[in-house]
Amino acid sequence: MNEGTGITDGADASEAAGMDAQAAAAIMGEARERAQRELTVNRPVIFASWALVYLLGYGMVWLSVRGQRPFHAPEGWALALLALLAVLALGVTAAVTDRATSGVGGVSQLRRRIYWLSLAVGLLGVYIMQPALRYVGAGHGVISVFTASSPLLVAGVVLAAGTAAWLNWYAFGLGVWLIAVAAFSGFAGPAGVWAMDALAVGIPFLVMAAITLARGRS
Amino acid sequence: MSDDGLDPVIHAPARLRLMVTLATLPDGDNLSFTRLQELIGLTPGNLITHLRKLEDAGYVQTNKTGSGVNALTTVALTRDGRAALERYTAVLRQLLDTAELAQPQVRTHLEPDTDSAGNYASHNDAGPHRRAQQGNG
Repeated sequence: MNEGTGITDGADASEAAGMDAQAAAAIMGEARERAQRELTVNRPVIFASWALVYLLGYGMVWLSVRGQRPFHAPEGWALALLALLAVLALGVTAAVTDRATSGVGGVSQLRRRIYWLSLAVGLLGVYIMQPALRYVGAGHGVISVFTASSPLLVAGVVLAAGTAAWLNWYAFGLGVWLIAVAAFSGFAGPAGVWAMDALAVGIPFLVMAAITLARGRS
Repeated sequence: MSDDGLDPVIHAPARLRLMVTLATLPDGDNLSFTRLQELIGLTPGNLITHLRKLEDAGYVQTNKTGSGVNALTTVALTRDGRAALERYTAVLRQLLDTAELAQPQVRTHLEPDTDSAGNYASHNDAGPHRRAQQGNG
């Protein structure tokens, strides 16, 4: 190719004449591979960063509440660590997504915006409900279960519903799994719910990171 | 069409790269001129020249919005362009198959990401779990 030089019809024709079927196939393969690599969101990194939020963040919150008799609340340092990890994971997700989707417009961009907006609005609603529950006199146990599992419920519903746009059964399955974890983990109690969510979300996210990484390399 | 049946508008290295790159986007998506330039590695002048040829053939559509520092030019593959690339791929596959019969060690680069009809898989959607859906990672 003559990058960097002017292209005339003559030069163009001679370029084409010098390109046989195999060379064309090689160019197609290389261009497709590069476009896919550059334009595809690096999901292993996103899955791994959120796995860390659950395994480490939720895990630390669980460590801070597991011995409490009677149960009152997670320790401030544990919640602060969880918040820090969540902010870091959000930053990683935003950076990785932006790197792949920079310059890409149209329908996908609109879908992405609606997806993230739905998630943000859902999480905002959850965090507004939390003081409302306190206000109506909900106990520490109820608040703990709600704080641990309601974000999962929101994420699961948005993810499962979002698959209508992506036609992606894997994402739908993950969404349903998050809903199931949110629904059932509360039975582990106000302390156990943190451990249950940490393992039931963190481990599958790590597995998804490994699977998507392996697929990307194959 | 050229003698071997390959569409001459597509059958030039730079335009072939352009078409393949744009074809990795799902229908309805577009790519900014700057990002396309970064992916293809052409100078702006060369990119404009090649895009004009593709646009004249009805294979791509460019759209300019805004002005001055806010100007944004986007490029998208048209339906005709996608169909033309599929035809090009089919003809290329035939040529390679013929070559492979004559010379068994010839391997194609066309198989991994095209379906039986020669359609391209789209990989762009940035929904958080889109990649898992692709089946080919």
